[in-house]
Amino acid sequence: MTFHVLDPTNESTPPLGQLAPRPGSLRGKTVGFISNGKEGTKGFFAHLDRMLREDYGVANVIFRTKSNYSAPADGYITGEIANWDAVITGIGD
Amino acid sequence: MQLASKTYTAEDIGAVQELYHANGWTDGLPIVPPTPAAVEACLEWAMTPPDFLIGIEPVRAQPVTAEKLAINAVMAGCLPMHFPVVLTAFTAMLDERFLMHGATASTGGCAVFVVLNGPIRREIGASGSFNALGNSDRATAVIGRALRLALINIMQVRPGEIDRSTLGHPGKFSYCVAEDEEDTTWQPLAQFRGMPEGASAVTVMAAQAPRQIMNEWTTEPKEILETFAAEMRANLRHYSLRAGNYAIIVPKQLREHLQAAGWTKTDIAEFIHERARIPRREWADVGKSAVVRDRGDSIYSALESPDHLLVVAAGGPAGGFGAIIPPWLGHKSQAVTMAIGACVDCEPSKG
Repeated sequence: MTFHVLDPTNESTPPLGQLAPRPGSLRGKTVGFISNGKEGTKGFFAHLDRMLREDYGVANVIFRTKSNYSAPADGYITGEIANWDAVITGIGD
Repeated sequence: MQLASKTYTAEDIGAVQELYHANGWTDGLPIVPPTPAAVEACLEWAMTPPDFLIGIEPVRAQPVTAEKLAINAVMAGCLPMHFPVVLTAFTAMLDERFLMHGATASTGGCAVFVVLNGPIRREIGASGSFNALGNSDRATAVIGRALRLALINIMQVRPGEIDRSTLGHPGKFSYCVAEDEEDTTWQPLAQFRGMPEGASAVTVMAAQAPRQIMNEWTTEPKEILETFAAEMRANLRHYSLRAGNYAIIVPKQLREHLQAAGWTKTDIAEFIHERARIPRREWADVGKSAVVRDRGDSIYSALESPDHLLVVAAGGPAGGFGAIIPPWLGHKSQAVTMAIGACVDCEPSKG
């Protein structure tokens, strides 16, 4: 017996966000970190902060932590992104 | 009825299973083939067009249509009469308070705990008696499974993809219970949470696995409830100090002692709220002294307020058992109750 069955997935993929233009160099730039606030991120971002300043000449590192690590960044944080030259975020635990 | 989903052809039932397993479209168990006729029957029963937009998951902008949900419901084994419950439960999960993305992606590994209330339980044969938290009946089994399959297929909540659970728990196959309303004097959970009397409703909660307790050596309400509170204190120690929605499942044997003494759900919630709390210093007793710091005397309550406790009458008639069901993680996700087939808080029609 032949079955005709339906695709259970969404089929269409939601549009991805556009990547901002890549900075040619980080020297003298302002880089923002958006942390989810989990315990393991502290050492990671502290090390990254030091590396960016010492090895790449980054002028300022701005550190922000989300109020809820399972939800998107708060509006006041995303509102600040326009003032930064680059932003680093992602999945962390 | 015009369905929009892509159609596949499979030569026999075995080929259907392999097609769905090979594409990562199952929970590992066999599925019921979602044929157009079966899917249309679900949609017709719920009087819902296939392109009806149930909602959009806000974090990843994923739309959920009735057609896609019905396909997953059929796969889970749902009959058309089960679909309105699935539809309402998934709508409740899309409520902002539930925080679907966080609750389904988290390493914490919670599942969606569902409580059914109202006349629909009897119409679909959902039982709140024997084996209530296990494989008690067809209706609760397939409804809970439908929600999981929909998360897998519509939201890409597959292990290692969106689902980052470290452990998960067996409730991620299905985690649905009907309250035993006929065998209790207590107010049904949905009514307790604001739904009109007699309305059918679902409550969804991002929940960890049940933790079973036993106390058959007393008839004193405070002693019985102290055992539940102690298990919640254990969860505060061993898992998380964060306050959130907890559920407690009270089967008939213990329930009758509480009811005979005149204890209502409100009385229970107030007692548990007072008793389910610990000082932070107790974390040092369970290997977590590193984070006690200078806050050892701070008191942490499992419940921010008594109404955050979901008291559910369910379970077989014999046995001095009960269970607590802890939240995924504090109040990041909140339990949501929604009426089935009715808009409880809509504006009244004009004229």
